Amino acid sequence: MASLYLHIPFCEHKCIYCDFYSVAPTETGGNYESLTGRFLSALRKEIDVRSADARFQVVYDTVFFGGGTPSLLSPSNIGEILETLNRNFSIRKNAEITLETNPGTVDLRKLSEFRQVGVNRISFGVQSFYEDDLRFLTRIHTSKEAVENVRNAYHAGFDNVSIDLIFSLPGQNIERWASNLRQAVALEPAHLSCYSLIVEPNTQLHRMVQAKQVSTLPAEEDANLYEFTMEYLSAQGFEQYEVSNFAKFGYRSRHNSNYWNHSNYLGFGPSAHSFWSHDEAVGCSSRWWNIANVVEYAHRLGHGHMPVQGEEQLSGQQLMEEEIFLGLRSDGIDVAGFRKKYAWDFLVHHSSTIKGLLEDNLASLSGQRLRLTSKGYLLCDEICRSFLT
Amino acid sequence: MNHIRNFCIVAHIDHGKSTLADRLLEITHTISAREMTKQVLDDMELEQERGITIKLHAIPMKYKSLDGKEYTLNLIDTPGHVDFTYEVSRSLAACEGAVLVVDATQGVEAQTISNLYLAVDAGLEIIPFINKIDLPSAKTMIETVKKQVVDLVGCKEEEILSGSAKSGVGTTEVLEAIVQRIPAPKGDPAAPLRALIFDSVFDEYRGAVAYVRIFDGTVREKDKIRFFSNGKEFQADEIGVLEMQRKRTGVLSAGDVGYVIASVKDVHDTKVGDTITLVSNPAPEPLAGYREPKPMVFSGLYPSNSDDFAELRDALEKLRLNDAAVVFEPETSVALGFGFRAGFLGLLHMEIVQERLEREYDQSLINTVPNVEYRVTRTNAEVLTIDNPSFMPEAGVVEKIGEPFVKAQIIAPSEYIGGIMKLCMDRRGIHKNTTYLSPERADIQYELPLAEIIFDFYDKLKSLSRGYASFDYDFLEYRESDLVKLDILLNGEPVDALSTIVHRSKAYEWGRKLCSKLRELIPRQMFEVAIQAAIGSKVIARETLSAMRKNVLAKCYGGDITRKRKLLEKQREGKKRMKQVGRVEVPQEAFLAVLSMEE
Repeated sequence: MASLYLHIPFCEHKCIYCDFYSVAPTETGGNYESLTGRFLSALRKEIDVRSADARFQVVYDTVFFGGGTPSLLSPSNIGEILETLNRNFSIRKNAEITLETNPGTVDLRKLSEFRQVGVNRISFGVQSFYEDDLRFLTRIHTSKEAVENVRNAYHAGFDNVSIDLIFSLPGQNIERWASNLRQAVALEPAHLSCYSLIVEPNTQLHRMVQAKQVSTLPAEEDANLYEFTMEYLSAQGFEQYEVSNFAKFGYRSRHNSNYWNHSNYLGFGPSAHSFWSHDEAVGCSSRWWNIANVVEYAHRLGHGHMPVQGEEQLSGQQLMEEEIFLGLRSDGIDVAGFRKKYAWDFLVHHSSTIKGLLEDNLASLSGQRLRLTSKGYLLCDEICRSFLT
Repeated sequence: MNHIRNFCIVAHIDHGKSTLADRLLEITHTISAREMTKQVLDDMELEQERGITIKLHAIPMKYKSLDGKEYTLNLIDTPGHVDFTYEVSRSLAACEGAVLVVDATQGVEAQTISNLYLAVDAGLEIIPFINKIDLPSAKTMIETVKKQVVDLVGCKEEEILSGSAKSGVGTTEVLEAIVQRIPAPKGDPAAPLRALIFDSVFDEYRGAVAYVRIFDGTVREKDKIRFFSNGKEFQADEIGVLEMQRKRTGVLSAGDVGYVIASVKDVHDTKVGDTITLVSNPAPEPLAGYREPKPMVFSGLYPSNSDDFAELRDALEKLRLNDAAVVFEPETSVALGFGFRAGFLGLLHMEIVQERLEREYDQSLINTVPNVEYRVTRTNAEVLTIDNPSFMPEAGVVEKIGEPFVKAQIIAPSEYIGGIMKLCMDRRGIHKNTTYLSPERADIQYELPLAEIIFDFYDKLKSLSRGYASFDYDFLEYRESDLVKLDILLNGEPVDALSTIVHRSKAYEWGRKLCSKLRELIPRQMFEVAIQAAIGSKVIARETLSAMRKNVLAKCYGGDITRKRKLLEKQREGKKRMKQVGRVEVPQEAFLAVLSMEE
């Protein structure tokens, strides 16, 4: 399994909580149109250069347009990028091709065109169905637009629709959150991502919290909302396959699962991350990431340089630790596979930790898979830490 | 010999002992004003910071008296704290006289009295000097202070000198009094050698250096010398007097103060209080008063990171080379791993050792709650010495337990007597006597279990008397007490490093407070933690630390797994400083919980 990621670094407006890299028109000094053009040609260049490396000539299973707001691009732009990818890489026929979409940037026609150029999975950043929440988060769409466009997506021919929601918003109580979940489920998405509002440094939200204009939800409330999410979605037939991700049977995000399974992926565009195991041997894996600046990104590629900002070689120990925490955060650790891959018996080396987790109903061990329970997901970071020696 | 005076300065802390010493050195041109840093005698970094003198020093001054003759005045410095009483007594024994410094604004304090008694016991001529008379508040106090001194020393008022060590007023009079009133040393340079070791230091290149006062006889370089306490023999390589640096003279004889270097590799062979004699012509008897340094307070010393045990051992070995009073031996704790049980002369000594290990030897330490040494008689009449509470035998096989008691003296303004007596009663003190040094100033005497004063007693005393009470103590004897071992259990697992020995009457309260303090200090775990205090198998207090609710970043992080891993790696560093008790992770602060317990 291998994946391709494309970071589209444009937003109509930057939301106060978001720390992913993007630029808004107001930040480009009136050069927004030309910047988009320069970005697209730089992206083509990056794809060309990468694909020339024989190591990356494998069959790809997923393509993911993230951002930023990829749905700001026109369907023809997206179509052209997909064509470039198809020209340079071998992409499986039934590959999962996802487009992150802001409900305020599309309509039925645009969605139909996205579908026509090859996108087959839509992930809507709905966040909340309450207008005051949307205003607080400085989203550019209304609740009504979100509902309409989810329905439009079905009309446009998408059957694989995902909805993103954010909980632990300031002042949010369990009733409001439950109502959000109910309304989302009523739209019958195949997939739901529920993230807790995290105050990231260098965001507007962080400055507001620092200035005491906003107070975050108490930890106990945050725990209650998360616990409710897991219980409710499980009852609605969603399977939790990661800390924040829930899917109907057969509709897990294959792209994200690849991240969590340590599969190879190439990332294109500013701030995109890539990961590649060069061969079967453990310890020959590297990760690199592009510069988080679209002007610099386009400039470098325009001058024949790669836009890589940093890179690291992962030691066997680091890979193993990553595999432990990625596994625990998602679908569990395949103990037999682990033993085979690292010649290291997870069950033996962590017997007392695992015994404790099983006793406290924080994890389950069935067959050869050690998986966290809902109670375990609540304490996931703590549990990961207890495995790090 | 008639032109030698051996003297010391005794005072309560901060009454100006070091300042007076500095001034005398300056007047006698022993050290030029340019060389003069403030308080030259305190040359250890730690001493200067704390404003206290830890190690002893000696320094000769040449002084031309009003009688026209030149004298050698040997100033022997003494440590100023209760922990070092024995060392004080040995340096006093090397003198014929003492200058007693009393702060004109403070009057007589506990250490003034205890040091004076030591000086009187040593038969010294006392020269009282009232210091800081230039301070505005001295005017109203000085007559009272004079009266206190007359009562205390039994001298005439006109024998009391006064002045200001800081500005130099009245300090020449001090030098003159030293010459006139303090007798010249006696002794026969031709008699068999008897040299008192009143201090020793470790020199990295020369080994142990003994600072000596010669009472009888003469010692020359190349002489074979013998230490009375252990019979070990060495050859004297270098002999001299102590100026700002050592000054080689090749010979010392009766009345002199100086040093002997004899390729002694271990500072433990040059013990304070021991007598040196000559192998060729030995003295029949040593000088009186030698005793082995006796640790009174014990504590476990563990490396913060269990991997650093060997480094800590090396640091302790090095430190022991210049501190003969510290003792240690390896021990193992279930909770803390490999470490040492160390014995100290007292609390201050313990703090100094810990600080030196951290500063000079760069060690990161966990020190356990200090305790005293218990004498346990088993039902089969066997007597054990227990310096680690976790080794206390089960109550069933214990006949009785003895603990050290001290004689404590507290001097404070009389308005604080009530508070002080309550504090002493809370600490199981037995009131012996209260006398008044003046209508406003009381001398309160108690017998107290040492265990009750080794932590926070002094701080409590200071705070309840707004800093005015002073305190001194001396070991008295071992007494039988109704003591029990209090264990702390985390989810049923005993934490050996948290075991304490307490009086039965206090066990419940202690257990309750300790459990509640631990509940604050131990972070929530993934599971509920029962914190229990128990005497034997009987649980006497319990607190429940509820399980952590949520610790997961439910965040979208895309392909940026590096960031996620770095967050976890950072958390792991934090985890390294935690100690594991069963499945419970205990932070290092918890092992000192007892010290931060509120009354």
